[in-house]
Amino acid sequence: MKRKLLCIAIVLAIAAALLCACQPDNGKIKITVGFWPDNSQKSDIAMYEEWKAAFEADYPQYEIVAEPYQYSPETVAAKGNTGNLPTIFQTYFTEPAMLIEEGYIRDITEQVEELGWLDKIDDSMRAQLTVDGKLYGIPRDGYGMGLFINLEMLYSLGEIDKKPDGTYNLYDEQGKPLYPTTFQDITELSRKAVDQLSNTYGILILSANKQGGWQLANMGWNFGTDALEVQKNGKWTANLADDGMVQALTWIKELANEGLCYPGASLNYNDWPAKVGSSEVMMAFVGNDALASPITSYNFPKDDFAFVPMPTGDGVSRHALFGGTPYVFADNASDEQVEGALRFLKYIGRSPETDDIAVAAMRKGFEVARQKGMPILPTIKAWKNEDYLTIANEMETSYINVNYEYFKDFFDTIYEMRHDEEPYYCQDLYGLLDNAIQNVLKDPAISNPLTALQTQNSQFQQRFLDKVK
Amino acid sequence: MNKYKAAIADLPKIPTTFGQKFKRFIKRNWGGWAIMLPSLVLFAFFIWVPLIENISYSFFEIKRFERQSFVGFENYSRVFQDPAFGKAVLNTFLYAFWSIVIGFLLPLFLGLLLSETVHFKGFFRLGMYIPNIISGIAVVLMWSNILSGSSGSMINGFLSLFGAGPVTVLSNSKWVIPVIVLVMTWRGAGGTVLIYLSALQTVDSTLYEVAKLDGAGVFSRIKNVTLPSIRPTIRLLFLLQIISVFQVFYEPMVMTAGGPDNASISLMYLCYKYTFIDRDPGAGAAVGVMLALIIGALSILYFALSRRTKQ
Repeated sequence: MKRKLLCIAIVLAIAAALLCACQPDNGKIKITVGFWPDNSQKSDIAMYEEWKAAFEADYPQYEIVAEPYQYSPETVAAKGNTGNLPTIFQTYFTEPAMLIEEGYIRDITEQVEELGWLDKIDDSMRAQLTVDGKLYGIPRDGYGMGLFINLEMLYSLGEIDKKPDGTYNLYDEQGKPLYPTTFQDITELSRKAVDQLSNTYGILILSANKQGGWQLANMGWNFGTDALEVQKNGKWTANLADDGMVQALTWIKELANEGLCYPGASLNYNDWPAKVGSSEVMMAFVGNDALASPITSYNFPKDDFAFVPMPTGDGVSRHALFGGTPYVFADNASDEQVEGALRFLKYIGRSPETDDIAVAAMRKGFEVARQKGMPILPTIKAWKNEDYLTIANEMETSYINVNYEYFKDFFDTIYEMRHDEEPYYCQDLYGLLDNAIQNVLKDPAISNPLTALQTQNSQFQQRFLDKVK
Repeated sequence: MNKYKAAIADLPKIPTTFGQKFKRFIKRNWGGWAIMLPSLVLFAFFIWVPLIENISYSFFEIKRFERQSFVGFENYSRVFQDPAFGKAVLNTFLYAFWSIVIGFLLPLFLGLLLSETVHFKGFFRLGMYIPNIISGIAVVLMWSNILSGSSGSMINGFLSLFGAGPVTVLSNSKWVIPVIVLVMTWRGAGGTVLIYLSALQTVDSTLYEVAKLDGAGVFSRIKNVTLPSIRPTIRLLFLLQIISVFQVFYEPMVMTAGGPDNASISLMYLCYKYTFIDRDPGAGAAVGVMLALIIGALSILYFALSRRTKQ
């Protein structure tokens, strides 16, 4: 009898525990939002809560569920394979092809068309998110790669002077830039920095987490390589050991050999705000969407840096790698969930809509950024409809809180310099280029950039490009 | 006669079939089985099922962690063709070698020192064990900063006091593995020292007294009394050391991302890289199977050698 009672008690306890774990179903359509700010970002969370309340008031059939998820190619497989991806989440422009192939994201053409948004998406971004005529994502914004420069250091080296109002003068009397415009300029400036400033390196060269390859691809284009994947007789061929790429890697090798770049062969994108923010490094190649990091995380003065166009290597080629962040939708999301998630984008100011709700949300985003002390700069817009562009640009101009002269050349040239990323297995390509950079950095005196690139070229062809039909 | 037959019929039946034997076995030990059941279920679920699944995955084309089609040894062949695999195998053996040189002898030496310590024994014991209780990731991040190649890093700041450096050990393909092993040893040695210490305390003190009477010095006592007495512990820890070092994973992942140019990549990290970075679980499973075979072969070799030594 005692044993029976014990068994019943255990079963009841387990059932109670299971019931406690279940949330009551309120009959609403749940939308899990993966780009929800994490717990450390209190003001952003408050802003999102406000947006959520407004959306749920207008669409009572929906419930927004916060599920902060920082996308990475390593974690998406685990979440995707177990059906745990948020309804809507952010990724990179290089990812949709892979995410579609793996079956992690779904087609949203019909829902976007219904809202009248399809033709308002920036053409280049739309092309990157379209596969076989179907749209798989909504762009959030784009970014271009450029050169971050510590102006205070540039001034200390006597490269630039100050205007009477205390701001830095980045141009000579003829209006010619005084900042580096060629890779050779960067080498010379780095040499000066290492010689004249204590514990400072000229530039940060990334080499891990696929981010070294991301930078090297842009450098290769600027040394004259047209593309790293080329179509020959209907077959995609790897072009990693092209002359421009070899010159770019040789440039890195020479920097490392002279001790001009920050030492280390496993530096990734998380390192740049720290190294730049602590003034250990004078320059870095970064995307314009990441410029706030050294300021918000390392208290770098927001008026002491410039962001200028990527330099040229061969004197002719000058490109800026153009990528960005799209919102994509989990494969198991229903049509209703997708519709709801798309409508929620208006409530957070990330749609082409220009009604009061959308404008108020955009304004709220700027207000919070200003309160946080973030540098507010122009962005590369995801939408091309005139009414949106007019309002967004006007609002942006009114909120800019940095000296726009330090960024003007970048934003004036980005649309003509933009160069899309390679179409197939781009992240895998970057990973292999990381290996080539590391090969050169581990022993720059004796390394051979051509051999390093040839090795990765054959790997990329065999393991990845041969799979492209 | 009938009486005799009836008596035989009353005797408990001797099980003849496997089913009967199994039933009797369970019946006889049902209490023990009931206690073990949860552990057995969990063990099967978390160890045996994934193990068998992994072997099966290595022979299939895998998509979304589901078998698509049988491909025979294709995953293995692809892994063999990847230059990173050769490097990972070599590196894993290098990790094992350096862990024996650094990580196996040092705790033994420290254990001997500690057993001879008279004053502040508890303090030293605690001091040695503290790195063990720090999170592994925190330890490798801390050491990554200490060993960073920048002129402002702790190691280079220290070296500059003597006019030396700067050094970039984590970017140097010759030094990267010994340095990672050194970090692993810094964290793990304390635990091993305590095991040695407990073994050392079980050594019969009369043996030392007799050795002393025979005129044996310190080194002679260690060689002839201490080491033979704790040989089973040394043997066990040696095997555990090899097995754990063959599974080195997060240290190279965090400190060097397997670089520079795969100079510190291990088989476990390669397995992770194939599975989660390259999205090729078939190749990852093939590496896992090969790693298990290597560890299994080493264990058999070790036991065979130790049996021969005993004989």
